[in-house]
Amino acid sequence: MVDPSDSQAAELMSAALDEALDANDAAAFEAMMQADEDAQAEFAGLRDMLKLVKELPEVEAPPDFYENVARKIRRRKLLSGEFWLLVSLPFQVLSVLVVLAIAVIYMMVQLDRDPAAKLERERAPVVDSDHP
Amino acid sequence: MVWWKVGEVSKANATAQAQAQAQPTSANKRGGSQVSSSEDARRAEQDRRDRRLVKRIRDGDEGAFQELVSTYQNRIYGLCYRFLGDREEAEDVAQDVFLTVFRAIGSYRGEGRFFTWLYRIASNNCKNRIKYLKGRHHGRRLEIEKSAQAQMPSREGGATHSLQSQVPGPEAVVTGNRLQRAIQEEIANLDPDHRLLIVLRDIQGLSYQDIMKVTGLQAGTLKSRLHRARVALKKRMEKHMR
Repeated sequence: MVDPSDSQAAELMSAALDEALDANDAAAFEAMMQADEDAQAEFAGLRDMLKLVKELPEVEAPPDFYENVARKIRRRKLLSGEFWLLVSLPFQVLSVLVVLAIAVIYMMVQLDRDPAAKLERERAPVVDSDHP
Repeated sequence: MVWWKVGEVSKANATAQAQAQAQPTSANKRGGSQVSSSEDARRAEQDRRDRRLVKRIRDGDEGAFQELVSTYQNRIYGLCYRFLGDREEAEDVAQDVFLTVFRAIGSYRGEGRFFTWLYRIASNNCKNRIKYLKGRHHGRRLEIEKSAQAQMPSREGGATHSLQSQVPGPEAVVTGNRLQRAIQEEIANLDPDHRLLIVLRDIQGLSYQDIMKVTGLQAGTLKSRLHRARVALKKRMEKHMR
């Protein structure tokens, strides 16, 4: 059996199973096989096992796979800050307008209540140039 | 077209999907270095197509993303399923892979093949999911396809094409299905690093070069580790092959 710690033998065995030996490696592999019956048995066993592995059925993704990916992306977008920024924007604008409206009403009320300002307005005479 | 409008698979996407389905079969049967010139031409064409898709996705073309998913969904789902041994987990992880691609496509620098970048994301996601499931003391819910299911459309209608169905005789089919279940079970029992190499090389048929890019391993390390993985799997399979 090929010693797993013998990396060169392991590399040769892998390459041989994958039919990926170059000329030098092929010669080294042949020599290894001829010298070691256990290695021959191991190689044959691995080749049989790989044949089975390669015959595993191909697996197909479910037909609604893309729809589920798209749904996931939409959901992530909903949870991300970008979405909440868009949702909150009208409320932010509305709140600024409300604050401004309150400020204007407050100023008008204050202006009506201020006696000095009232007097100023009452005192202001209408200037008639023909009748001094 | 509205972003993420579902249910519209264009004719081009269907063609792309058919091409993607054809790829693993042809790749599976070839050795690492014995790549024919037609194989080289196919790979070059695939790379060009991927580059065009990536550019279109970066430009905000949702159809391109749909095409990309259609092209690779079977391979990525297959990788996840063989790695995790559970259809539901595999579907969830495969969806996350494309979600990651969608979010990170801007950071993809275009160095190397897009395909290997995608596989790197997929293998990392699978490894992380295994760690997560272990951390939650998740009982292994290895889903082994029942004999009948292996020959029939799967849960959502996605088919599994059993090669055993080509072997005449019901006994051969039963034996083949039993072995398939055993292989899937034993692959799922391997160490995650070994499992990844077996799935990439022996099931998905990636070349050594591509696996080196996906895993970051050197050629020598890859070959010796692959050998150890195969020996470990063979050892586990011996009881089923007697």
